[in-house]
Amino acid sequence: MKRISIDPFTRLEGHGRIDIFLNDAGEVANVYLRIPELRGFEKFCEGRPVEELPRIVTRICGV
Amino acid sequence: MAKLKLAAYWSASCGGCDVAILDLHERILELANIADIVFWPIAVDFKYHHVEAMPDKFIDVCLFNGAVRSSEQEHIAKLLRAKSKLMIAYGACACFGGIPSLANFYNRAQIMERAYIEAPTNDNPNHILPQTLTTVAEGQLELPELYDTVKTLSQVVEADFFVPGCPPVRGTNDQIVDVLASGELPPKGAVIASAKALCEECTRKKEEKKITRIYRPFEIIPDPEKCLLEQGLICMGPATRGGCGSKCIKVNMPCRGCYGPPPGVIDQGAKMLSALASIYDVKDDDGIERLKAEAVDAAGTFYRFSLADSLLNRKRM
Repeated sequence: MKRISIDPFTRLEGHGRIDIFLNDAGEVANVYLRIPELRGFEKFCEGRPVEELPRIVTRICGV
Repeated sequence: MAKLKLAAYWSASCGGCDVAILDLHERILELANIADIVFWPIAVDFKYHHVEAMPDKFIDVCLFNGAVRSSEQEHIAKLLRAKSKLMIAYGACACFGGIPSLANFYNRAQIMERAYIEAPTNDNPNHILPQTLTTVAEGQLELPELYDTVKTLSQVVEADFFVPGCPPVRGTNDQIVDVLASGELPPKGAVIASAKALCEECTRKKEEKKITRIYRPFEIIPDPEKCLLEQGLICMGPATRGGCGSKCIKVNMPCRGCYGPPPGVIDQGAKMLSALASIYDVKDDDGIERLKAEAVDAAGTFYRFSLADSLLNRKRM
């Protein structure tokens, strides 16, 4: 199966890659979106004082 | 002078550093006069294969922002290092680990568990976690390996200069454009920011530094004229490099240290602890216990932006 990879995708906020699989007729058989990025705000915000969170979670996205 | 070939990349970051480059405002035109962009995912459509096809040292200057916390990010850091004459660690994450390196208080398994299983917004009854290799009907899909420990850029490749800040402020970016336009580069390893600690640049009134208790920011409304530390608020000024223009302090918020340690200091958190210990009125063991109780989340505060770069590096577990 032929694969077309778009890596990375650009001009937007965030990290990502798209893989497009083509069948023998050259038609799109399936498409996978992959996010190769995890920082873990879900975890490391735990244990931080609540009043500090506005200055931490603003770093989830700075765009 | 031939135009410089400029690259910018985001690793484990928020995109704020990329936007900070645009905060040059009208000087962005000056940057466009001296440099052509050859790679910058947020702004232009070049792919990794374009970078791989470049000869070594093809890029004159690479502004690398973000920490390094996956195998892909380490690969791209090494690729860009090989292709770049100058590699600049741009922003607190690339320089010191930044906010993403707060993850070094935990490990990969805990982060995965929380993000993909425990978090209340998840719908993942089979507890599926991301795998580095997944077989699907069409073939195999790869994902980078998430590291246990978040790294700084210079823990992975050599960085020529360091530009601190979360994000670097306009004045700092002006310094970079001036350096690039003049072609007069600072010595290798230089930090492009102030050579002083933030306290030395802060214009608040400073009197005797002696405090009897620490307040959390919501417990008092601080006097806007007086030193925040003297009012009992933990302000990272003594342990932080200047150059940010005191942005937080000017709006009555204590510094959290995003410009990293001042010159001569290796460990920002230890420096802050030392500063606090010397001004806090401790007479006995009770005093020590009080200080410990009042300095809530001391490690997460003193190392807010620099855990990966610190002597601690991570929590031992």
